[in-house]
Amino acid sequence: MAAAGQGGRSGGGGGSSGAGGGSSCGTGSGRSGLLDKWKIDDKPVKIDKWDGSAVKNSLDDSAKKVLLEKYKYVENFGLIDGRLTICTISCFFAIVALIWDYMHPFPESKPVLALCVISYPLFILSMFVCFPLNLIRTYFVMMGILTIYTSYKEKSIFLVAHRKDPTGMDPDDIWQLSSSLKRFDDKYTLKLTFISGRTKQQREAEFTRSIAKFFDHSGTLVMDAYEPEISRLHDSLATERKIK
Amino acid sequence: MLSLDFLDDVRRMNKRQLYYQVLNFGMIVSSALMIWKGLMVVTGSESPIVVVLSGSMEPAFHRGDLLFLTNRVEDPIRVGEIVVFRIEGREIPIVHRVLKIHEKQNGHIKFLTKGDNNAVDDRGLYKQGQHWLEKKDVVGRARGFVPYIGIVTILMNDYPKFKYAVLFLLGLFVLVHRE
Repeated sequence: MAAAGQGGRSGGGGGSSGAGGGSSCGTGSGRSGLLDKWKIDDKPVKIDKWDGSAVKNSLDDSAKKVLLEKYKYVENFGLIDGRLTICTISCFFAIVALIWDYMHPFPESKPVLALCVISYPLFILSMFVCFPLNLIRTYFVMMGILTIYTSYKEKSIFLVAHRKDPTGMDPDDIWQLSSSLKRFDDKYTLKLTFISGRTKQQREAEFTRSIAKFFDHSGTLVMDAYEPEISRLHDSLATERKIK
Repeated sequence: MLSLDFLDDVRRMNKRQLYYQVLNFGMIVSSALMIWKGLMVVTGSESPIVVVLSGSMEPAFHRGDLLFLTNRVEDPIRVGEIVVFRIEGREIPIVHRVLKIHEKQNGHIKFLTKGDNNAVDDRGLYKQGQHWLEKKDVVGRARGFVPYIGIVTILMNDYPKFKYAVLFLLGLFVLVHRE
C-alpha cells in the first residue's frame, strides 16, 4: 500500500521510480549494465529550447521513433548510406592528397596509375602529370555533388521506412518523413509522404505547429502532445488508402 | 557517475548517426586541408601565408602581421621587393627586403637581403661561408598583408598547451553538436 502510494505521488519523478524498479530486478546483467547506462532511449528528451537545430533534431528523432516503434515499419538506410559514402570518399581523397604531397619528391608514375583506378569510380577522368591540381579539383567537385545531393534529392527527408506487405506478394509501401524549421522561427512543419507499393501513386499530409506546443518550459519534449499529431497524420493517409 | 547533459544527444544516436558525426569532423578537417593545399598550388609557394615574427621590417611590417605570398616562376625578383626566404639548415623563414642582385644571362640570380629596421645586411644570418641567396631559398614574395591577426598564431606557438586546448575543445564541439 505504501509503495503504491509513493509511486502515485511521484508523478514527475517517473524516471526515478523506473530506476528503482530496474535496480531491484536487474541482478544478473553486469556486462550489459554499462551499455544500458550509456544508452538512454527511455529517458525523456531534454534539450536547450533556444537552440533551433537541437529542437528540430529532437522533433525529427521522436517522429521517427513513433513511426518505427508504434507502427513497426522497417527503416530503409539507402538514402543515408549514400550520403555517408560520398562523405567518406571525399575524406579519402583528402587523406590521399595529404600523403601524396608528403611523398611528392619520389617517382610519381606508378602511384598515379594505381590511384586512377581506385579513386575515380564515380567519374571517368584521367590523370595527367600535374597530379596535385587534379586531386584538389576533384575534391571540390565532390563537395559540389554532395551539396546538390543534399539539397535536391533528399529534400530534407530524414526517414524512409517501408511496411512489409502482409501477403508477401505486392512490393512494399514506402513512408517518408521530411521536416523543416526556419532559423529563429518557431513554426515546425512535418510532412509525411506515402508511396503505395502497388499503384506507385504518392500521397502526402503535413502539419505546421509552433514548437511551443510540444516542449515544456524546461526544454523537455512532451511525447503526450507530440505523438497524437504524428498518429493523426499517419492515420489520415492510411485511411485514404483503405477507402480507395 | 557524472551526468553530463551535453552528452545526452550523443547517447541517443545510433551507429549511423555516430559515424556521421565523426565524418562531419573529418570533412571539416579535410576542407581546411584542401583549401590550404589549393592555395599552395595556386600561389606556387610551399607556405602561402606566413606570420611576421620579429620587428626587423618596421615600420612596414610589425610583429604579428599576416603576409600573403606568391612564388611564380615567371615573376623575377627585383631590388626593393620583400621576399620570404629560408636559410639552409634553419626552418624558420625570414621576411626581409632585397638589397643587391647579381644576374647572369641565363637568368640565374644571386641576391643579398637586409631588414628595414636592421643596421647591417643579412650576411651575418646566412650559413657559414654563404654570401648570397639564390632562387631556391625563396619561399615567396610578399603580395599583401593583414595587420595584427597573426598574433593568435604567435600566441599558439609560444603556449602550445593553449593551442592543444583550443583544438581539443573545437573538436569536441564538432563531434557532439549535431549539424
